[in-house]
Amino acid sequence: MMCECGKCGSGYVITKNKQSGIYLCRDCFIDSIEKKVIKNIKKENLLEKGDNVLVALSGGKDSVTLLEILNSFRERNIIDICAVSVDEGIANYRQSGINIAINHAKRLGIEHKVVCLKDEYGVSLDEIMGNNNHRGSCTYCGVFRRDIINKTAREMGATKIATGHNLDDETQSIIMNYLEGNIDNLTKLGAKTQSPADKFTVKIKPLREITEHDIGLYVIAKQLEVHFDSCPYAQQSFRMEVSQLINNLENKHPTIKYSILRGYDKVKNAIGDSLNKKFHSHTNCIKCGEPTANKLCRKCTFLKELGVD
Amino acid sequence: MNFILKFKDIDEQREIPHENYTIDELLKDLNLSSQNIVSKLNGELVIEESEIHNNDEVQLIQIIYGG
Repeated sequence: MMCECGKCGSGYVITKNKQSGIYLCRDCFIDSIEKKVIKNIKKENLLEKGDNVLVALSGGKDSVTLLEILNSFRERNIIDICAVSVDEGIANYRQSGINIAINHAKRLGIEHKVVCLKDEYGVSLDEIMGNNNHRGSCTYCGVFRRDIINKTAREMGATKIATGHNLDDETQSIIMNYLEGNIDNLTKLGAKTQSPADKFTVKIKPLREITEHDIGLYVIAKQLEVHFDSCPYAQQSFRMEVSQLINNLENKHPTIKYSILRGYDKVKNAIGDSLNKKFHSHTNCIKCGEPTANKLCRKCTFLKELGVD
Repeated sequence: MNFILKFKDIDEQREIPHENYTIDELLKDLNLSSQNIVSKLNGELVIEESEIHNNDEVQLIQIIYGG
């Protein structure tokens, strides 16, 4: 069967858009992804001229794609970019991604910081997981990584933190929060989020409308160096169950991820307005001074439990 | 009629089971989801509808992992 690119007519197609049925060649596919991200940035007002954007750069496909596309704004002197990579201390896994992140930052001439959990908190993820009493790797990883990224944003003078969350991540979070009845967390999703605490930098998700598969295809089509590997601590989680559920639905209903996102965006403000009537107080952690709703923030609570505070 | 399959640590020769055998059918035979895989045929990125012919080399790249 002979297929032609729906944009330029080339006979060498590399993908078929599930929603439109249109085939695309390599160049038109790359162009379509970059245009879609830029359109989303403009639609959601994710960037302002003069922003200094901190990219959370793991060296995986999502963050490398994010850096690559945001760099087009930097090349046009619209924004400046800096980057941070978090080394959780996972043997035979993390170093490869860190090396790739260093290479990309060097290639683009971007200020880049690598922060190790061991240096920051005195304990690595491998050491935490070596204990019998732990809460699960993803719990620590998420809390410690957020803390490091927030602090680094202030240190590097960032006005925005950009993360590589894609359409799959976002739709999984929406459905998970619905299913768990976690309406407070549900209102905290979105393309641009700002915490009531001034210390926290605005977070943006420019890849929010791009599927994870298209991001994988983009880095391979563009021959970008990325770290494709599974975290050794990856476990059968609720997120993975929800991911399988949505992907199964997508096989029969190709636009389901977009409709989940669109539906959520429509109701988000209404849910937020109703919840914001409640008073959300923030104070500073008595141990580290970071914003928290309790006396001790989650990070300090974990460090206390682990005996490394 | 054979082709070479490269996927993770697999590098093996396989028989083409029938005429007009596609990468999509290969993914189904291997129990792999096209949502997690990018396919190359003789070194070039291709769509899953592409047919596999004698002496072709098919490389499957897993782009999505859990966790």
